[in-house]
Amino acid sequence: MAASLVLVLLIAVTVRAVLFRSSLAEIIAERVEVVSPLNGWKRVVEGLALLDLGVSPYSGDVFHETPLVIYLFHFVIDYSEIVFMIADAITAVALYLAVQDYNKIVFRKQKYTLEAGRYPLDVVELLRTPKEMMYIPIKVAVFYLLNPFTVLSCVAKSTCGLNNAITALFILCTIKGSALLSAIFLALATYQSLYPFTLFAPALLYQLQRQFIPISIHSPRFWIFTSQYGSMYLGSLVVITCLSFFLLSSWDFVTSVYGFILSVPDLTPNIGLFWYFFAEMFEHFRPFFICVFQINVVFYTIPLSVKLKEHPIFLMFMQIAVISIFKSYPTVGDISLYMAFLPLWHHLYRFLRNIFLVSIVLIACSVLFPVLWHLWIYAGSANSNFYYAITLAFNVGQILLVSDYFYAYLRREHHLIHGLYLKKKDGTEETLILK
Amino acid sequence: MASFVGVPIIYWFRIVVTLFFLHFYRTSLSAHEIETQASHFFRSGHTNNWAVLVCTSRFWFNYRHVANTLSVYRSVKRLGIPDSHIVLMLADDMACNHRNPKPATVFSHKNMELNVYGDDVEVDYRGYEVTVENFLRVLTGRLPASTPRSKRLLSDDRSNILIYMTGHGGNGFLKFQDSEEITNVELADAFEQMWQKRRYNELLFIIDTCQGASMYERFYSPNIMALASSQVGEDSLSHQPDLAIGVHLMDRYTFYLLEFLEDIHPASQSNMNDLFKVCPKSQCVSTPGHRTDLFQRNPNSVLITDFFGSVRKVEITMSTMKLNPNNTEKNEIDVNEEMVTTLQHYVDQLPVAEIIHQKPKQKDWHPPDGFILGLWTLIILIFFQTYGIKHLKHVF
Repeated sequence: MAASLVLVLLIAVTVRAVLFRSSLAEIIAERVEVVSPLNGWKRVVEGLALLDLGVSPYSGDVFHETPLVIYLFHFVIDYSEIVFMIADAITAVALYLAVQDYNKIVFRKQKYTLEAGRYPLDVVELLRTPKEMMYIPIKVAVFYLLNPFTVLSCVAKSTCGLNNAITALFILCTIKGSALLSAIFLALATYQSLYPFTLFAPALLYQLQRQFIPISIHSPRFWIFTSQYGSMYLGSLVVITCLSFFLLSSWDFVTSVYGFILSVPDLTPNIGLFWYFFAEMFEHFRPFFICVFQINVVFYTIPLSVKLKEHPIFLMFMQIAVISIFKSYPTVGDISLYMAFLPLWHHLYRFLRNIFLVSIVLIACSVLFPVLWHLWIYAGSANSNFYYAITLAFNVGQILLVSDYFYAYLRREHHLIHGLYLKKKDGTEETLILK
Repeated sequence: MASFVGVPIIYWFRIVVTLFFLHFYRTSLSAHEIETQASHFFRSGHTNNWAVLVCTSRFWFNYRHVANTLSVYRSVKRLGIPDSHIVLMLADDMACNHRNPKPATVFSHKNMELNVYGDDVEVDYRGYEVTVENFLRVLTGRLPASTPRSKRLLSDDRSNILIYMTGHGGNGFLKFQDSEEITNVELADAFEQMWQKRRYNELLFIIDTCQGASMYERFYSPNIMALASSQVGEDSLSHQPDLAIGVHLMDRYTFYLLEFLEDIHPASQSNMNDLFKVCPKSQCVSTPGHRTDLFQRNPNSVLITDFFGSVRKVEITMSTMKLNPNNTEKNEIDVNEEMVTTLQHYVDQLPVAEIIHQKPKQKDWHPPDGFILGLWTLIILIFFQTYGIKHLKHVF
């Protein structure tokens, strides 16, 4: 298995190196679907150049990355391509190891439940076998590394690759069980782009489950662990923020990075939902709608955690998906992270209802993005409505994908409890509805 | 016989005497006549001419407004006003519109007889720059300091200005670009500002829109003469469509105005009364109107070329003039001496040597030491916290 991972890594590095050397690199680096005002490479270079000239990189509306990125790239700017390839490799390896561990845990849990006799008799087909689960880690690594979205994001040298690496390391540490490291990486991920703080809930749930602490308000162990984890997370967040203050001796970065993410001043078109809406909005209503849109990102955490408290990794997948759909400046790099998780749920295939439609929608929209961009900006025969329509369709496709998997997961759980062939009291076949 | 011979002789004599006197009369007045001819040039008080030509409509079906403006531009240029004294504002580009079957042309006659676009059109304000604000700023001169000269109306108190506007209008307003309007009150106030700042000597305002006469109703500044293509309540109509291009090419008033102006040349003596007669109701269907009460001179003493042409002031002199009668020789010697002085060379402005050798750029900024120390201490602490203190003994 390690050998195949190395092979996949080599192929991925080759593909990226070839694209870096070709002339496509500049074209890709300018595509708005791949880079956003937050994580464009051009902006990192500008920020460092401003720093060399003695000016704060956060002056003006150029640079919106955190000071740690400045620190990193100050030394390795000449080897930036290698840095991004290494980031992708770290993400893939971290996901590989995480999924390996997770599979072991899932399989062990299933074994205990089988031995306890808690499964109905006809769910044999739904049970997961080691044979089927053996290739999942390598499939996850392949799904991440060879996903065209990831390749595009890496070739464009978008710092989204670094964010994905940190998130993947966070997932690895969570699954391995180390609370401190998980809290630190989560703090780093939150520090980089604000939204991963919603991943606190699935990480907490997973840690509790791992340590067999009951998830109820009345249990004191629950509160002790929650406060421990929470204080580790907040403490490391404060430490990282103060450390970045010392880098440039100023708090500019807070308004430039987090103020920028939250108040969405830049309305460059991207594959998200914010830009068109706020371009046509009157100033009077802007704060209200910004609150609405930002709350929309975090809103799904609590209900989903309540529903999926037994299944924290699926919750984490859904939360990452919700973040990458509803965040203020999404790019295709964010999408590739949650798509890497899809091989984990491939046993749900028989319950997926719309998978064909969704995949066609996603592929068609990805192809139409550059076409309609060209028609709008260069040919002048379309306008922003066309591009936003494709953005909307793309996001609807993503939401359908995520909700389809949610339905399939819940349905499988239901079948595991109540049996595969559901019968009503009088023996006729029953249908299952997701409400 | 004698009567027959006598009468003709007397008649002849009278003719000869008359001719003799006439001849004297002519020669003695030859110098005087030149002066009277020359004095024709200085009848009006202006020394320079400006023209502000505005087309306020966009979209392909308003082709005729652009053609109107361009034909007046053409006439005005032909009669002598240079491009530096013309501010041409066209709200849309018809010549390069992708619906134009003959690109780079704007025709004013059907059957494409006359291309008013030509090769040397200079448009100063184009497309979305033609706004009410820009138009008023051009008139009053209150433009930002960065505006180039070609976009300014640099007139003075001896300038005669021709202002021609065309587009869609109504009772008291003219529509700009389908999104804003200029009212007759604003226009009158702008002209008053021009008068108070002495930005014109005399002003001729021509407007070819529906209900155009409403636009000059409110003028109150002196020395303004105004013409409009239709009265209040009437619509100005377009002239003729061209079936190949598919739109109407000109408006009637400007079409007949162009025909009238084609007969004017820089030396013609036609006056304003002829201009008022252009396009009577039989040809125009609407009733053109004019207003001369604010104008101080009699319209029949105002030449067309006072506004449509450019004054070329020529002084005829019979005397000779010497330049530098005393110092001519000295200047020559000085010039020769200066040639022998040392050669000058330019200071080295670009560090060419550095550019050629491509030195790597110095990175001046370094992260502060405290930061690096703190960061790595934290990283090491976490490493040992996670993996146990026992590894320390391998390090030391």
